[in-house]
Order: sequence, then C-alpha cells, then structure tokens
Amino acid sequence: MSPTPDRPPQPGEDPLRPHVFDGIQEYDKRLPNWWLMTLYGAIIFWAGYWFYYERAHLGPSNATAVEQQLAVIEAVRLASVPSLDDASLWKMSRNPIFVEAGRATFNTTCASCHTEKLTGAIGPNLVDHLWIHGGRPTDIHATVTHGVLAKGMPAWGPVLGPRKISEAVAYILSYHHEGEPIEVQAAWVPRAPQ
Amino acid sequence: MSDQKITIEYNDRVVRQFLLATVIWGIVGMLVGLLIAAQLSFWQLNFATPWLTFGRIRPLHTNAVIFAFVGNMMFAGVYYSTQRLVKARLASDFLSSLHFWGWQLIIVAAAITLPLGYTRGKEYAELIWPINLAVVFIWVVFAVNFFWTLARRREPALYVAIWFYIATIVTVAMLYIVNHLSIPTGLLHSYPVFSGVQDALVQWWYGHNAVAFFLTTPILGIMYYFLPKAAERPVYSYRLSVVHFWSLVFVYIWAGPHHLLNTALPGWLQNLGVTFSLMLWAPSWGGMLNGLLTLRGAWHKLRTDPVLKFFAAAVTFYGMATFEGPLLSIKSVNALAHYTDWIIGHVHIGTLGWNGFMAAGMIYWLLPRLWNKPLHSTALANLHFWIGTVGILLYVAAMWTSGITQGLMLNATTEHGTVLAYPNFLDTLNTIRPMMLMRVIGGGLYLAGWLLLAYNFYRTVRGAQPVNGTIEVYAEAPAPDTRLSVGRALLGTPMIFAVLAVGFATMWMLGSDLVSTAGLTGAVACLIGCLALLPSRGPAWTGWYEKLLLNALPFTLLTFFAVVAGGLIQIIPTLIVQQAQNVEDRIQVPYTPLELAGRDIYVREGCYLCHSQMIRTLVPDILRYGDYSRLGESIYDHPFQWGSKRNGPDLARVGGKYPNIWHLRHMEDARAISPGSNMPTYPWLLANNLDASVLPAKIKVQRMLGVPYGPLSAQQIFDQVDDQAKGIAKDLRAAGAYIAPEKEVVALIAYLQTLGKSVPVPPKSTATP
Repeated sequence: MSPTPDRPPQPGEDPLRPHVFDGIQEYDKRLPNWWLMTLYGAIIFWAGYWFYYERAHLGPSNATAVEQQLAVIEAVRLASVPSLDDASLWKMSRNPIFVEAGRATFNTTCASCHTEKLTGAIGPNLVDHLWIHGGRPTDIHATVTHGVLAKGMPAWGPVLGPRKISEAVAYILSYHHEGEPIEVQAAWVPRAPQ
Repeated sequence: MSDQKITIEYNDRVVRQFLLATVIWGIVGMLVGLLIAAQLSFWQLNFATPWLTFGRIRPLHTNAVIFAFVGNMMFAGVYYSTQRLVKARLASDFLSSLHFWGWQLIIVAAAITLPLGYTRGKEYAELIWPINLAVVFIWVVFAVNFFWTLARRREPALYVAIWFYIATIVTVAMLYIVNHLSIPTGLLHSYPVFSGVQDALVQWWYGHNAVAFFLTTPILGIMYYFLPKAAERPVYSYRLSVVHFWSLVFVYIWAGPHHLLNTALPGWLQNLGVTFSLMLWAPSWGGMLNGLLTLRGAWHKLRTDPVLKFFAAAVTFYGMATFEGPLLSIKSVNALAHYTDWIIGHVHIGTLGWNGFMAAGMIYWLLPRLWNKPLHSTALANLHFWIGTVGILLYVAAMWTSGITQGLMLNATTEHGTVLAYPNFLDTLNTIRPMMLMRVIGGGLYLAGWLLLAYNFYRTVRGAQPVNGTIEVYAEAPAPDTRLSVGRALLGTPMIFAVLAVGFATMWMLGSDLVSTAGLTGAVACLIGCLALLPSRGPAWTGWYEKLLLNALPFTLLTFFAVVAGGLIQIIPTLIVQQAQNVEDRIQVPYTPLELAGRDIYVREGCYLCHSQMIRTLVPDILRYGDYSRLGESIYDHPFQWGSKRNGPDLARVGGKYPNIWHLRHMEDARAISPGSNMPTYPWLLANNLDASVLPAKIKVQRMLGVPYGPLSAQQIFDQVDDQAKGIAKDLRAAGAYIAPEKEVVALIAYLQTLGKSVPVPPKSTATP
C-alpha cells in the first residue's frame, strides 16, 4: 500500500519527515501559538492556585468556607425569627394565602407520613383532638421545627425554614379552631392510610 | 544486509473476530443503556425483577460499553494497525486466539454475574474477583502478544500510534490491579483492601484513568493510524505528537480527584485534581488538532466518504469532551454539575461521539479491506452518520439541560439564602422528566444508527471471502548504531531534566517550608537551565528521542515512569495519613453483623448508583441532608459508597430520620411514601431470607482489613443478628407490618438506620505536624 497523495507537495510547503509508516507520512509543523499559550497558561494557573490555597493559605479550606457561610445563615435566621405566639398562628390559619402555601408544603413534605387528608398513616392523625407532643399552635410549631427523632419525625427546621413551617402549621390549624378541646395521646400506632 | 525478499501474511483473522464482537457487544451494551434510561422515566420497566432492576443492570451497561464494545474495537484496531506499522505478523496465533476467546468469555461471565447481583460495588470495577483474575490474565496475554510482536518488528522506529498503545497496556494493567486488590470472603464475594477515603481516591484514580487509558489513549493511537490512511494526508505535526503524548500520559494520572471535589477528600488532593484537570486541556486538544489538521487538503472528501465524516465528527466530539472536562473540574462548576445528568451527558459525548464514531469509521474503512469487497452501501453508512449525530446531539442537549436545571434547583435557596427553594428532591426530579425522555429518544436514534452498521456489515461480508493483508519485506538486519540501552535512555538529558523538574515541583507543592523553598529554587533552576541549554543542545536532545523511538523497552519504561508518578504521590501519603488512629473530629461506629449484612445487600442491589453517601461542604447539601460528611465517618467502609450520581437523595445521614415502617413501605413501593418517585420496587427483599451463614467469614476478613471487631464466635454473630433483627421486626409489627426477622429487608433497614452514626474523637493533645 503505497501512499497516494491527494496532490503533489506545493513549493514552499513544509518538508515531510523522512520516515514513512505503512504509507503514513508526517509533517513536523511548529506548535500553534494559541495552543502553547493554553498549555503555559494552565501551568501558570496551577502554580498560582497552588500557592494561593496550599502554600500561602490565602484562601479558606472547603470546611472553613462552608462554616463561615453557615454562620451567616444562622445570623440571618436569628435576626428574622418572628415573635410567634398562639394568637398569631391562629391568625395565620385563617389567612387563605398562608393556608394555601401551607397546603403545598404539607402535601410535598408531610403527606407521605400523615396523608393528604391529615388523617395519619405512618405518622399520627392531625385532624382529631388527640395530641402526643402538645396541641397548642406553638407546640405544633416546635414539633415540626425540632422533630421527634426517636419516633421518626424529622427536624424540618433546617430544611424548610421558619416561613414554610409557619405556613404548614397554619394549614394544619385550619382544620381546627381556637378553644377546641386538646386531649393527650400516649403514642401513635402506624396504620395503612385511610 | 541481504536483499532477499520475504512475504509476510498478517493475522487479520483475529481482527475480523474482534470487529464482529465489537458490532454485537455494541448492540447489547446500547440496548441495556436504552433500557436503564427508560427505567428512569418509567419505573415499571424494572419489572419488579431482581436481575432486570436498574441497580444491577446499570453496571452491565457501563461494563459492556467500556470493556466489551470499546475493548473489542480497541483490540481490533490495535492488532490491525500494529502489524502494519511494525511490518510483522502478530507474534503468536495461539495468544491472539486466546486473547479473543478469553475476552469474550470474560464478557459473558460479566453479563451473567452482574444481573445476579455479584458485584464489588465500585463503578466500572464491579466484576467479582475470579473474573478480575481472568481479566488480568488475558491482559497479560495481550501485552505479551503485543510486545513480542514489537520485538520481532522489521520497522525499526515506533510510530506515534504505537506509543499510545504502549501507554494503554502498561497503565491499564497498573490501574486495574491496584483498584481490584481485594480479600475474598468466598468464591463470589470479596472486600476491597482499601476503605473510605482511601478507597474513594484509588477508585477515582482508576475510574478517571480508565477513561484516559482505556477510552482515550488506544483510540488516539487508532486515530493516528486510520485517519491519515483514510484521508491520504500526512499527519499534521510530529512534534505536536511528541509534546501532547508525553504531557497527556503524565498529567492525566493526577486528575482523578476531580471526581471527589467538595467532599471529605483532603483539600490538597482536591486542589491537585482541579489544577491538573485544567493542565490536561491543552494536551488533549493537541490530539484533536493533530487529527483535524491532518484533514487539511482532504475536507472535500467528507462530502462523499462516510469514514472521514465519522472520524472528523469523532475528533470534534473528543475536543468538546476534553474542553468540558476541565470546565467541570472547576470547584464552583462542579458544585452545580456533580451528581447530576450533566456528568452523564459529558461521558456520552466521549463514548457515543468519540469512541462510537471512531469505531464506526474504523469498521467502515476496514470492512472492504478485510473481506476484499466494497462496502454494501455507502448511502446507509451516511444515513448512520446523520442518525447517530442527531442522536448524540439530542442526548447531550437533554442531559445538559437536565443536569443544569436539576443542579440549579437543588442548589437554589430563598429567604436571603437561608432556606432551600425546593426542599423536596422529587420536585427537581419531576422537572427534568421531559429531558429524561428526550435522552431515551436520542439514545434510541444512536442505537438505530448502529443497527444500520450491523446490517451493512452483514450484507458486506455475506458470501465474501476473508482476505489477509500481506507485505513483502527485505530480510535485513537493523543497523548496529540504533541500540539505546535502558541506562542511556534513563540518563538522557531530557529525562534528567524531567525527573528533576517533577521532583522539585513536588517538593514545592507538598514539602514543609524549608523543603518547599528548596523545591521552588530547584524547579526554577531546572527551567532556566533547560531554556539556556536548548539552543545549543536541542538537536542532540532530538537525536536522543529519535533513538528512543528505535528501542521499545526503554520507551515502555519511560512511559511507565511518566504514569506512575502521579499515582504514587497521591496515594501513598493518603494510605499513611488517613488511618483510623489519625482521624480527627468524628469516627464511624463499626457495623453490627446485621448491619454489615444489610450493607452487602445495599451494594448488591447497586443502591450507590442512584444514592450518594457524601454530604459535600456546600450550603445547599448541608441544608438538605445535614452536616457535611467527615472522612472518619466512612473509614471502615469496604468498599466506600460515596456514589457519583444522585438520581435520588443523599443517604449519608438518613439513619434515624424516618421510622422503620417508612423504609419498609418505601422498599415495597416508593410511590406509597413519595408520590412521583422513580425508584424501583424491591419485593424480593421482603420475600428472601438473609443468608447469615457467610457473616463469620465476612467479619473475619473485615477484621483482617483493620475494622475493629472484637473476637466474635460464629454463634455470637448469629445471636447478635437474631437479636437485632427481632427488635426491628417487633417494631415493624407494632406499626402494623408483619415481616419475619430473617427477611433481607430487615437487614437492609438495620443498615439504613445506622447511616450517619458516628462518635466524636477527643481532640489530640499533641499538635499535628
């Protein structure tokens, strides 16, 4: 198989290397400048990046950086905690905007255990008058925020944030009214959804 | 010198065999890929059958396309081109046959064991230990056959394609052996010797370089042979070949940690991953340039020649993928893209575009030559090209959109950055569903194109007579002054400069202050010395390299040194430093026997393919899943299960988050708990009994590997399993579910409920160095 060049080498064209491999010839053109700049640029970047993070420690480590960001978040949360009391939660539960927003959160987050009708399955019924961890609006709010880890209720505070939690509690309260009896229930026995 | 002429007949039979296997395994691998893609859209396609479930056949897809499809294609291309480039028939017909049939047997063994759930639980390294041994054996057969052929070559100099083949053979052997080091607990099961962060580092050193040295370097070699042949044009630049070959093989090895950015992997390794990935951009594009610029003067042929169309597109896709790779290795881009479909898209530009199109071009070029008959239909081949291209573009566009959308949604926060905007993972999943469907269509088109190739293949070779290539050569002895001893090769000035520069740079990077300063001084001195000597000594150095190309053994040794450096510098310090006694902050509690059994079920079902166990040092991860993972928290995990893709949420801290009954219902049918979920159902876990009899052997191996299990007798192990399982079954019964304690699901629940359990490590009184 001898090479069959498409066209004869033009005058002034780069010389070919002397060796031919199974008909394959090679030019020996110089490396494109932009390509060399990319190579050198990346090497310079490596040296600079390494110096910045690993030698001079001018940049924070991953853990330090995220701890700083979390501190900022905590500060914002602390500063924006509304003074929640039973009265304001009851008021929210009669506000259709709050209740509708709460319904959306409830159905995506809580309904998997408490069902969309709130009548309970894996988690307890939320529409009867029986409460395990307190039935006052602030009690419910605290249960949702901090969870009851021993019984499988996750702490939703960090995930949902205070606003969504207030809305969800308002939604639950929309099935109740102020002054109704609150009875203490010892525990919930999981059951199939009804 | 003699002027006696002899005729050599090449062994093209084995090339034809590998080519046929490429076509068949290509169909199989792509079909399985299509099925798993469809399963993500339609969970019913898991058919509630263990061996058809996503977690078990996703490894079948990846192993089939990497090792069966590209593997066979690589062997065909390497064997065809090497014989011609060195003017020698393959050294041994027996070894060639053994290589072919052994490899096919390995593939069949993989296709049987993976769906049955026999796995090592590490990506692209899932095959169980007896098959690992077979792979190593057949790879050695390949190596012996190849190097023996080089030793008998009648062409003194090694062409650039051969350089890439040498790098492939040497490096894949090294990577494969180290990442598969395991201790068997039985005939079909073993635990990897590395655990936790070490296992993660070794795994991605292997995983990244499987891409480099199994899917890239051999295909670059194939490009350097077949592309200039098909274009009938000289290769663009020899010196670009030299520079990009050595920089590629040297730099690639270091970049593995970019798979572990923002995780518990120590920061210096992450920064090596970032910087070396960026330095990899130019070497990769060197290959693309040499491919595309070789086509100068032949572009008009693309209009009619499907072979050149495939090659030009393949090299372009290679360029896209190797630009995207460094981009994805930037920490902030990675924070968005990692664990999402963007990565899947990135991989498929490489596999469908680069590997698949190189394979197609090579096959269309080889068919007429191996069967001495024109291709059945050029029109069909052109149609294949266009269907395939549209398929790739649909696939990749879908995955880009999907990955970026889901990444943005998962990372989105609201209320001044304090709260997740989409706290429910399923919201993000359901948003990308149209893109997941589009991916199925794109993949389906690509497979349709491949089926056209299979049909064209069949019609071309049907009734055709296979022919073997021949060549007439003079039986001449090599000139005596071409020998370069190993010592002379190692002591060549360019080699000395390279070793010193790498050594000094490493001292600067990792040494204490004094060593670091010395390293910096040395590196700068190296640079200045090199530049100063270049004008006068340059021609001598060129001569040294030309001479190196005449000597296969020294060349192979230098290649090995280039690829071994990065691995040693990354892995050895990690093995020494990241041990249980050195862990700070928090350390994992070893699993109880039942939890260990549950973990092995988790591995068997391939849960790690959709669920990570690694909360990154990123605010959205922490808000969603809890405090970021510490490296001590998986220190006893053989293998590590950090995962690389989140089709579902992270599980690193799922333990204790939900009651046992939640997990039971979720395994029965995830949609009962999480409407809209695409997780498969696992009815067999509720039906099958746990095989506890293997636990004493397994715990013995764990203890051997350094997991602090006390001296437990077999009976004590069985009693502990019984006690814990009964406790869980009792709890489930109280919740209204009647599950016998010996069912597999009980063990799995025990494991899930322990995830994230760790104990604090008291701060050390002595300062760390």
